[in-house]
Amino acid sequence: MYAIVIGGGKVGYFLSRDLLERGDEVTLVEKDGSRADWLEGQLGSIVMRGDGDEMAFLRSTGIERADAVLAVTGDDEDNLVALQLAKKEFNVPLTIARVNNPANVEIFKALGVDQAVSATEVLLSALEQTVTERE
Amino acid sequence: MKVLIVGCGRVGSRLASELDEEGHEVTIVDRDPGSFSRAASREALSQDFKGNFLVGDGTEADLLRRAGIEEADSFVAVTEGDNRNIMAAQIAKQIYKVPRVVCRIYDPIREEAYRKLGLEVFCPTIEGSRRVRQMLMARK
Repeated sequence: MYAIVIGGGKVGYFLSRDLLERGDEVTLVEKDGSRADWLEGQLGSIVMRGDGDEMAFLRSTGIERADAVLAVTGDDEDNLVALQLAKKEFNVPLTIARVNNPANVEIFKALGVDQAVSATEVLLSALEQTVTERE
Repeated sequence: MKVLIVGCGRVGSRLASELDEEGHEVTIVDRDPGSFSRAASREALSQDFKGNFLVGDGTEADLLRRAGIEEADSFVAVTEGDNRNIMAAQIAKQIYKVPRVVCRIYDPIREEAYRKLGLEVFCPTIEGSRRVRQMLMARK
């Protein structure tokens, strides 16, 4: 599988590392130069420096043959636009977003993103499940 | 007409002021609390502006509901961020079905992409360059 990960923060770093360990082909997109240097030191030459919402740059990542794009920056609006471009302009079959605001899980799906994951929502449901089990 | 404007910069504040003077019901949202007093001090917003200000992020559905998006006839996204405008405008159009939605996108490439997807978009980069070219080519 060829996966493109947009955003090289903690989530993007661990996600890319695990995908590589599974044997997948990965490109990790990071716009900050010094962060990209650090990521390259850890993960090798899978890192590309650029903006996930710039169409010419996206094309240079080989997005047309990607099986999945995962947008995991800390900014919901940037994740949304990167994935909408991936889907509508490059016909990527699977788009997955990290969302910071839990309300955006439903909004992203309504706006054409295949999957949206909110850490807040996952934590809340883990908490609720534990509380219910104890009762 | 009820108008919701996201982004109280030069365009947002001037538009708010003009629409208010014409008798429309205006609400203007900006995440920077200082944006309103800055607009007032450069007289972009007139002293007798009767509309509402709201501090918050215009890409958050909760805030947009508090700003009255469910009753709005028109929605304008003019923050400094293309992606924020794109997201806010799509929430207004697709989720809240606001009848008229206008979105500013500086990047001509994204402007074209979202125009194709059905957003009503204007691009100051394209408009500005067209206008300057016209002025340069005009015969005296």
